Formats: sequence, C-alpha cells, structure tokens
Amino acid sequence: MSEKAGKKITGAEILLESLIAQGVETIFGYPGGQIMPVYDKLYDYQDKLHHILVRHEQGAIHAAQGYARVKGKPAFVIVTSGPGATNVITGVADAMIDSTPVVVIAGQVSNAALGTDAFQETDLIGLTTPITKWAHQVRRPEDIAEAVARAAYIAGSGRPGPVVLDLTKDAQVGLAEYVEAKCSFIRSYVPVPEPSEESVEEAARMIDEARRPFVVFGQGITHSGAEAELAAFLDKGDIPAGSTLLGLSALKSDDPHYLGMVGMHGNLAPNAMTQECDLLIAVGMRFDDRVTGTVNTYAKQAKKIHIDIDASEINKNIKVDLGILGDAKEVLTRLTEKIRPRMRMGWKAASEYCRSIETEKVIDPEINPESGMIKPGEVIARIAESCDGKAIVVTDVGQNQMLAARYSRFSQGRSLLSSGGLGTMGFGLPAAIGAKTAAPDRQVCLFVGDGGLQMTIQELGTIMQEGTGVKIVLLNNNWLGNVRQWQQLFFGKRYSATRMINPDFEKIAQAYGLDIATVDDRKDLAPAIARMFADDKPFILNVHVEEEDNVFPMVPPGKSVNEIMLNSKEWFEYGK
Amino acid sequence: MENEKLFEITAYTENQVGLLSSIAGIFTRRSMNIEKLLVYPSRINGIHKFKITTRTTETLCRAAVQQIEKKVDVVKAFYEIDNERSDRERDIVIAFLEERERNNR
Repeated sequence: MSEKAGKKITGAEILLESLIAQGVETIFGYPGGQIMPVYDKLYDYQDKLHHILVRHEQGAIHAAQGYARVKGKPAFVIVTSGPGATNVITGVADAMIDSTPVVVIAGQVSNAALGTDAFQETDLIGLTTPITKWAHQVRRPEDIAEAVARAAYIAGSGRPGPVVLDLTKDAQVGLAEYVEAKCSFIRSYVPVPEPSEESVEEAARMIDEARRPFVVFGQGITHSGAEAELAAFLDKGDIPAGSTLLGLSALKSDDPHYLGMVGMHGNLAPNAMTQECDLLIAVGMRFDDRVTGTVNTYAKQAKKIHIDIDASEINKNIKVDLGILGDAKEVLTRLTEKIRPRMRMGWKAASEYCRSIETEKVIDPEINPESGMIKPGEVIARIAESCDGKAIVVTDVGQNQMLAARYSRFSQGRSLLSSGGLGTMGFGLPAAIGAKTAAPDRQVCLFVGDGGLQMTIQELGTIMQEGTGVKIVLLNNNWLGNVRQWQQLFFGKRYSATRMINPDFEKIAQAYGLDIATVDDRKDLAPAIARMFADDKPFILNVHVEEEDNVFPMVPPGKSVNEIMLNSKEWFEYGK
Repeated sequence: MENEKLFEITAYTENQVGLLSSIAGIFTRRSMNIEKLLVYPSRINGIHKFKITTRTTETLCRAAVQQIEKKVDVVKAFYEIDNERSDRERDIVIAFLEERERNNR
C-alpha cells in the first residue's frame, strides 16, 4: 500500500503512483501545455520513473514500441494535447497493426473547454478510436487509477495493442484520494479464448493424416512465449516451418525444421512448400497480403488449420478448414501431446533443391560478392557473423528491412523489431532506442536506409542525451531504394522522386558527438564493424553500398508465392 | 460473386461513450452502408443493445460481426439474414398498396 493512500493528492500524482503500481520504470515522452501538471509532479518522481525526453512525439511512440516488444509488456508514452497527441498517431496505428502493447497518456484541455476549439484541443478519442484497442477520456482525478490499470490490462492481454488515455486538465489538477487499482477482468472482454478440445483433436487427426504438412508461424508465438513449444511441436511431427517477418527469431535460425521467411521477399523453400503442402498449419499469424501473394491461389491444394487468439482473424483473408481459437502456447502444447511422432524425410528434402537454387542465384551474389561496390546484404551478413545471432536486430522499412530480415541470424526470441503491417519509415531509430533501453545488456543493431534515417534523425539527440548504446548501420545508397526497385521493375525505370541528395552524415554525427565510420571499400568493412562493437557507446556505421541493388527473390504483386523473380531476368516457378 | 442480402446485426454492449462511432467505423472502413440503426437498453440490466441492418455479402457481414465483437466493450455480437422477414413485410406492404390502387380505379 502506498503512503499516499488516505489523503487527497492531485490527479497528476495519482497518475504517477498508478504507473509505479503497474511496475512502470521508464516513460517516453515530451512535455507541453496541457500535460504540464503531470510533468511538474514528475519532477518529484525522478528517482522512481525514468523519463526519456525524445525530440519528436513520433520518436516517443516508436521507442515505446521497441521497448514493449523487447520486454513483452506494455510501454508508456506521455505527450501533450493537440499536436503532441497527433504526432503519436502514426505509431499508434503501427502498434495496432503489429499488435504492440503501448499506452499513450495525452494531456487534454479542461472539461469546460472540450468541444470549443480551445488552444491545442483535438478530438483524440475520435482520431484514435479506429487504430486503438481502447481509447478513453478521463475527466476526473478519482477515475485515473482505474483507467491506468484497465489501460495496461487491455494493452498487454490477449492479442496486444495500443491504448490511448486522454487526460483532461481537470483530471490532472483536481484532488482525490489515491486508491490503488488492479485490473485483470473486464466482463465484456475475453482476451484469451479457451481452445475447444474437439478442435484440438480434429487438428491432431488432420496432422497425423497429412503427408506433407507445413507450418507458418507469426508473432503470436512471441506474444505467447511459445518458442520452446513450437520447436517441440515441429520436432515431434517432423514438420518444416516458415516464419512471417514479425515471427522471426521465435524459432532459432539453425533449428533443423526452419526453412526461413515466407512472403514477398522470403526464402524460396517456404514459399514453394506453401504451394506443395497438403496441410498448412498457420499459428499466430494473420495471412497478410505480403505473406500470401494473390489469395486466390494461396495454398489452394492444401487443407488449412489456423490457430489464433483473435477470432476475427479466422477466415478473414484465407478460408480455412479448421480454426482453433486460443493461446499459441496452450494449443501447441496440447497438439504436441496428441500427434504421433513422425519422420518426414522425403517431404523435407524438397526444400534442399530450393535452398541450393537460392544460394547460387540470390544469396551468394548478395552476401559474398567478389568485386564491385559493397552490397547491403553483405554488410548485414558480416554483422550477423560478428554477433553470432545474439543481437537484437531493429530495422527501418524498405530494402534495409527485407535484407536484414533475410540475412540476420537469431539464437533467441524477441530479437527482430520491424514495422511489419504499417511499414513505417522512420520507425527504426527510435525503436532501437527503446530496445536498448529495455535490454541494456544486449547488443542492439539498427539497419536503416538513408531515407528512413532522415525521417526521425532528430532522435540522435535523444541518443546523445541518454547515451543509448545503439549501433546504427546506415545502408546508404542515395536512393529511396525500395520504391526505386519497384520503379525499375514495374514502372519502366521512371525514377520519380526517389533520388536522395544526402547531408554529410559525418558532420551530423559530429554535431551530436557520436562516433561514426564511413566505409566505401570492402577491405575497410570488417575493421569498421570491429570498431563499432569495440565498446558500448552509440555508433554510426555509414556504408556506401551498391546504389541500384535490388532485393530478391521477389514475389511480384498479384503473383502466387511460387512465382518468384530470382533477379530482373530469371524466374523460379516451382511445381509448374 | 457472392450475393448481397439484408442482414440484421445485433450487438450486446457496455454503455460506453464513443462505442457507437467505434462500431460505425467498422462499417465505414469496408464501405458498408448502414440501412437502419437502433441503440437502446437491453432487457439485461446495464447492457445496451445495437441493432444494425446492412445490405452486404455474408462474408463481409461475418467479418464485421467479428470486428464488432472484438471491441473491448462489446459483450456479444450476432447476425441473421433479415431478407426473409423484411421480404415478407415488403410483400405485405406492396400487396396492400396494390389493392388500394385497384380500389381507387
């Protein structure tokens, strides 16, 4: 029980006590007019709550996303009303589509001024309702503790997501007694449905009968903490598996059943086997269009089982033969008990052919080129070798993201942070700050392009102020590379608005007091990587990479996942 | 191509400010037109009831119902095909009007 109990304190103080009661240690935020009472009280709580002052509210929400995804629990953001609140909206939408537990606490004008177009007033609830799990306005100090407990519970439970609390000035400055609140039950809300025994039995029967089963797993494994259960399930059934982008690192890269990433820039084997399997088992994923290619032909030959915690995902994009509602860990545990142990040598061998083609045609030329400019994939592969799968890999969006996803290696869970669903350029740098804050003892490596870095480059100021030891690997090609690649392949090389004239990143690093190495030549890459990892300080590795490099393989838009471009001339059409 | 029909969606909810616009947003997002909307206290104490009539395909209707039920403040959501009943009602009205027309001659 807090010593504050029994006497009246301000809503601002109730808020901070409520955060501490939720176990919050770190807040990402930015002050402003309508949240000043909270910031004033924060002055007295500096020893209990570490506030990280970002340079733009978008940085606060992405940092919170990075923090939450590494910690596996809700992260908190505090911003002011109006522009402070609207500046977090991109991150809120990102957290919604990528199921990230974040709670945004925004200031709001006084109760009497609501709806009057007061200075820095905006209808934040109206703006964020479609992109939050819950959005709620608090107008009285006595409602704050309950609202914070509810917000944390909703954000973190079941399929996680963002929550917005809109805190009016009256709620912040009014006086009330602080009564500690806990929330682990809301009668209208069932975060974790109980899997039905019949559906689990039916799934086990389908798996036992299948000759060529294939698993596609997503971030649901990470949310559920089902990494070991997934590996055990694959092992007992001898079932090959592919990961979605956000599922990466839930299965170790060297797991014998792991075939790589599925989808548009995924590996050949899991994409080809999607179209060859007789049973597709999808776990904790949502059949995003970047995963399925054209839905009309996606795994059409196969029976399908979809295991997900969110009922609205079943049959949303892909019709399935069996949906199992429930937490991945529980469903996988029960399924593993029920299925028969099997050996499926012949089926798994099918992947070897795909792997050899991909290595020869795509991987080797990208990561082991003998001459020419440094390739971006090469940089990622050298860093992956240096980190031995132990680093947290953060990506921005675009070619850097796909290449980092393809060529990084993972030996533990929660090690890949990327903006998957929304594809938010500018996500990477602040997310890396959040990740490093959450796990100061782990190496955090950001792969970012010159375009994405400049979208949130102001957060170098946060790194300078906090000394956050993020390793920033700038894959610098002077293009908006992913759009340029599409312009080259699908828009007749009409490079509209994708050429970037960049600043001198050495001078920028210097201005922020950060160490930087710029590399043009292959022979300088390894020493620069060694220098980057030589200490715990933040570092920018600015690599001038092959300017017009393309990410392959690629399932072009509108194609099936087994119609894959190996480069701009050759196609791989498995089973056709 | 799946046929469009008239569906009646029923949702039992907490009485939460903003829930109406939140539910309406689900329809807007998928370009589904709400033909009819009723919100009132249900016979269960403290629980409100939404009745929404919409013309759409069953696939879209089911997806919308799942999205509605996913809302934290929604207890349960259902749908039923409204066609038969409303077709019957419409037939009665049309028959009545036709009879009046005949009598008028």
